Amino acid sequence: MEEIKKEILPQKASTIVIDFSGVTYLDSIAALAFFQMQKDLTRRGADVQLIHLSNEAKGIFSVIHPDALEHQPLKPLGGNEGFTQKVGQASMAVVRDFSDFISFTGELLVAFFHTIRNPRTLRGADVLFYVQRAGVDGLPIVGLIGALIGLIIAFMSFLQLKMIGANIYVPALVSFALIKELGPIMTAILVAGRSGSAYAAEIGTMMVNEEVDALQTMGFDPVRFLAVPKVLATVIVVPILTIYADFFGIIGGMIIGVTSLDLTIQTYITQSLKTIKLFDVVTSLIKAGVFAALISAIGCQKGFEVREGAQDVGRFTTSAVVNAIFMIVVADSIFAIMFYYIK
Amino acid sequence: MPGESKEPILIVEGLTARFGDNVVFENVNFKVYRGEILVVVGASGCGKSTLLKIMIGLQTPAAGKVLYQGMDIVRATEKELLSYRQNIGVLFQSSALFSSMTLKENIALPLEEYARLDPAMTDMIIKMKLGMVNLAGYENHSPAELSGGMKKRAGIARAMALDPQVLFFDELSAGLDPITAVELDELIIKTNEALGTTMVIVTHELESIYKIAHRVLMLDKQAQGIIAEGKPQELKNNATDPRVRSFFRRQKIISLI
Repeated sequence: MEEIKKEILPQKASTIVIDFSGVTYLDSIAALAFFQMQKDLTRRGADVQLIHLSNEAKGIFSVIHPDALEHQPLKPLGGNEGFTQKVGQASMAVVRDFSDFISFTGELLVAFFHTIRNPRTLRGADVLFYVQRAGVDGLPIVGLIGALIGLIIAFMSFLQLKMIGANIYVPALVSFALIKELGPIMTAILVAGRSGSAYAAEIGTMMVNEEVDALQTMGFDPVRFLAVPKVLATVIVVPILTIYADFFGIIGGMIIGVTSLDLTIQTYITQSLKTIKLFDVVTSLIKAGVFAALISAIGCQKGFEVREGAQDVGRFTTSAVVNAIFMIVVADSIFAIMFYYIK
Repeated sequence: MPGESKEPILIVEGLTARFGDNVVFENVNFKVYRGEILVVVGASGCGKSTLLKIMIGLQTPAAGKVLYQGMDIVRATEKELLSYRQNIGVLFQSSALFSSMTLKENIALPLEEYARLDPAMTDMIIKMKLGMVNLAGYENHSPAELSGGMKKRAGIARAMALDPQVLFFDELSAGLDPITAVELDELIIKTNEALGTTMVIVTHELESIYKIAHRVLMLDKQAQGIIAEGKPQELKNNATDPRVRSFFRRQKIISLI
């Protein structure tokens, strides 16, 4: 093509005839090049004729619309805001997010009260299904991560404590850290990743498929029908998962205790139990329950925010996990201060 | 003969819908008569689906009323809306079957919630409804195992579970092959003739319209409302409005090119 251009463009003749009789195949790139060349030459005053075009070639030239080639891109409806506008919109989005969550919490509470007053409306099979999904299916990973965390804390503290000969405090440190803080937080983060995201994606897909609309037209309250079983199941299983994680954490610590600290299993257990008070266990379970409510409520709320398309489902699933983890940390900070004063 | 009744079952009065400042339609008035098949047509964006959503109580209009047996469903209490919803069935564009449930569970859902029958009776009703839409034997299949046309038919079976007074269809034959679309048309005519169910159908398919519609309403984006109302053949032959003529004769409007 370049060679043809080199040959034709410098021509000074007033009439240029390009003969296509030998051309067997012309694609749109070549046609466009000839079209441009014809335009350039015409602008210089030459008369350019394309002759002996095959029917296929004519077809290709016929779909080149000169107007379309010079058409300026239209301004899209959104996405052209300045920096200040974007900052404003982002801040508004944070406020809206928060107020949406509060109003969803309200709807959820109303739905819960309705379910308590009419227990027959609770979909028991759904609750069991999500107990299995969020709880039973999560046992292996929660146990594994719990054991590894216990192992790591024991190992790290042993490295420090051995310098002052205080190895005997390792079991206490492990059980204290796990039960007070790490067990509930770690379990909650795992559940947010496993189940919070699943709730958002599930409800979001139902929104896209008009299943939520269908529920509504059949006279069901979507929050009562879809969110209540999920929230209830999560609030039941997360405290249990937390105890499970604590247990495996202590076993993880025990592996280090027995292999590296020369402690017997018996001593390790007695030392572990020494620091654990009933108050700590109870508060840890309360925390786990609150985290569970946050994770599942945020997951469901984000699902209901999906409007259309697969991209929306992805976006809201991500934001379900991120918001849940953020709220878990905020709630944990509040608990830390609250329990300090209660004690 | 269905479609001949002069007793309105739904009355739409002064309905206006807006999205922000954008008016979708304004002051729309019409009646749906008991037993008729009313088809709503119009180009994309003219507000057909919005109209349908308002009529089934999923969206609130900016102004106007939708009266069902004298009750305005726009301002109805939750209890009134619930009783209205037990009297209507909706087939959504995507069929909207619950993917986590089998067909049997899908159809059983409204039955268990409102009818409180013994399980054997519920089973019989499910079999009857599936038989009605030519899906006998499919009760244990999940929606994912069905073709598009079968899903639509299953959706009709679910919408018909409580023997509704009015059935609404959104984009009836969207995404279906012509043969399946014809089967669906036949099912609709059969159901309407056998049970006298009133039907409000949103569709683009001209062939379907000529076949099933007793009456057609045409909405237009520019006019922000109804531009034609009548029997499809009459609109085709007698309409003077170029927009209506071009639609029913499937021709481009020359002056707009």
